[in-house]
Amino acid sequence: MVESKTREIKALNLVLLALAGLSLAVAVWDVASDTFRAGTDDVFLVLVCLMLALLFAIPPLMWAHSNGMLKNPFADEAVDEGGAAMELEAAHEAHGGSNRENVIVWGGLLGLTAIEVFLAYIQIPTTLMLIILMGASIVKAALIVAYFMHLKFERLSLILTIVPTIVVLLCLFAVLFPDSFRLHNLRPAEPVQQVEHE
Amino acid sequence: MAEARADSLAVNDWGGGVHPYRVGHRKLGMWLFIMSDTLTFAALLVAYSYARAASVNWPKPFPFSPSIVFSTTMTLVLLSSSLTMVFAVAASKRGKRGTARKWIFATMALGLTFIVLHLMEWNHLIGEGLRPFELPPEWLEPNAWPGASPLFGSTFFGITGLHMFHVLTGVIYLGVVATRIKKLNDDVEVVGLYWHFVDLVWMFVFPLIYLLSVDYNGVIKP
Repeated sequence: MVESKTREIKALNLVLLALAGLSLAVAVWDVASDTFRAGTDDVFLVLVCLMLALLFAIPPLMWAHSNGMLKNPFADEAVDEGGAAMELEAAHEAHGGSNRENVIVWGGLLGLTAIEVFLAYIQIPTTLMLIILMGASIVKAALIVAYFMHLKFERLSLILTIVPTIVVLLCLFAVLFPDSFRLHNLRPAEPVQQVEHE
Repeated sequence: MAEARADSLAVNDWGGGVHPYRVGHRKLGMWLFIMSDTLTFAALLVAYSYARAASVNWPKPFPFSPSIVFSTTMTLVLLSSSLTMVFAVAASKRGKRGTARKWIFATMALGLTFIVLHLMEWNHLIGEGLRPFELPPEWLEPNAWPGASPLFGSTFFGITGLHMFHVLTGVIYLGVVATRIKKLNDDVEVVGLYWHFVDLVWMFVFPLIYLLSVDYNGVIKP
């Protein structure tokens, strides 16, 4: 690669890293400030800042990774990027999730569903139930997307276009809940007697 | 040929070139549709959760037997239809159109079974007096859920109705792909994406609507 272009890329990545740091700083500042009340405004600001930090940090981190400055701690073995991509491609062509693998995934999905239904049968506290159910559902969704919908075997650029976008947007819905709890607290403690329908 | 060209042009994952994602336009279009549809369902489920968390009382009208057992069967049917869809895609990739078509028909049959079971469930609740904007009067009695919001009906019928509509659309879509499989061989994978997405949505609807509304107090007489 041309020397000037390398420098240009380095400068751009540094700018992105600085923006990520700035977003993170704003989030920390909001949480640390005296006016923090964990209401809709605060949740919105903190979530947006954290997500901006994540999005800004992805290109520099990937660049650092591809230049060998950052090792993937989850990698199975040390293979250089090109080789790994080629192997992945070859694996995709060869099986890309064999039928046997898919049956195992299906079994896993059934197992998780069975656990969920069992928990509904023995009756546990609603909040705990909600957390466990959502956790299991996210695992199930990830299994379906990765294996059945084949996303695991697609190019990294497609995965990085789809998954972070959806996760960011879904998390943004969380800003509505403080308002929902506020509404709940506004109501009288005793349920209002139902008026007879005429 | 286009693949080879994309290979030489795409230096790395951000390099792009003419085929930055290395998928066909149909597949990319389906992924974009799935992303937008995810937000549609997410908005509905968030609206449901919002209404439920803001309410003093919320109906839990599903006794473990028969309602939860029934909806678990529906989940099993839908999950199995995803597996038959996977087999259809695998067969079409190996060039076996006849086998692919058989698996697609199996998927359609399971999808239709799901719709029939779901309509039976709806019929049962409507028979009890549940309406989109009205709860059955017995549900509001002191030993049931006094002061409960009629939004239960609208969220229940809205979310499961939209999901059922997606299943129905999927069955029609599968039928079109299966009957014209010679022309639409590549579309088996694309319709597969759609079908798995419908299954995925149910993985959130089932716990949020059914498993969190189990009637432990025996209010609803089976």
